[in-house]
Amino acid sequence: MTAGGHHPAPVSPAEQRVAALEALLTERGLVPDGFIEEITRRYESEIGPMNGAKVVARAWTDPRYRQRLLADGTAAIGELGFGGPEGDHMVVVENTPRVHNVIVCTLCSCYPWPVLGLPPAWYKDPPYRARMVREPRKLLAEMGCQLPDDAEIRVWDSSAEVRYLVLPERPPGTEDMTEAELAGLVTRDSMIGVSRL
Amino acid sequence: MSTPLSLQDLDLPRRNGELAFDAPWQSTVFALAAAVIEHAFGGDREPFRQQLIAAIAADPDRPYWESWTAALEVLAQTLPDQPRP
Repeated sequence: MTAGGHHPAPVSPAEQRVAALEALLTERGLVPDGFIEEITRRYESEIGPMNGAKVVARAWTDPRYRQRLLADGTAAIGELGFGGPEGDHMVVVENTPRVHNVIVCTLCSCYPWPVLGLPPAWYKDPPYRARMVREPRKLLAEMGCQLPDDAEIRVWDSSAEVRYLVLPERPPGTEDMTEAELAGLVTRDSMIGVSRL
Repeated sequence: MSTPLSLQDLDLPRRNGELAFDAPWQSTVFALAAAVIEHAFGGDREPFRQQLIAAIAADPDRPYWESWTAALEVLAQTLPDQPRP
């Protein structure tokens, strides 16, 4: 996924060497189709944001936890053992059928690391940072997140003082799932607010 | 898939507990090492680890993932002829 308007950087010597290695090892039959993408996805999209996913799943299954989470994100997230310098002053914003929240950092790339891991590359790109404020509905649609016309979009600009986390809506048809199973449904992008579950 | 977890005891650069990649080529070379460990060495990470130690010792100031690349380049020259099952 890209935020649009992103151009690849010139190919560096390091990139060239890795591309040559990839070609060599693929020719030797050591790199099955999709292997690199799968490994990368696991590290960047699953393992990183797993803490946030646990927070979301707990909020979906425990109404009292959800109340505490929305009232004081930092404390409720701390209850699950997640926190630290980059996770101070966490504010959790809840999606509803009528309100869609999305987070951005227009000045730099403030990001709630303790719950979402490393920010994806596009989050740090100037086009994402600028356009999510100026034309969120259009950019979200370009990123594959179509919203009903009557849904209100709230854009939350992160700062050194406040980091946001989106609490996505629990998908329909998941009533019988356990908390752990629910956590497996929660994606990084849904907690940034650029996709819906 | 257990491959990425099998790399855990290599001393990987991490920020906030998560693997730190600053560019796509870094995660690519990470995944390539995982592929070689799994598909050429049957999950044995020691051959790669030895090359990585040697690569870092040869140029301690080199950025980490460039040493990782250099180690994999050397290892690629010594691969068994056929992938092991």
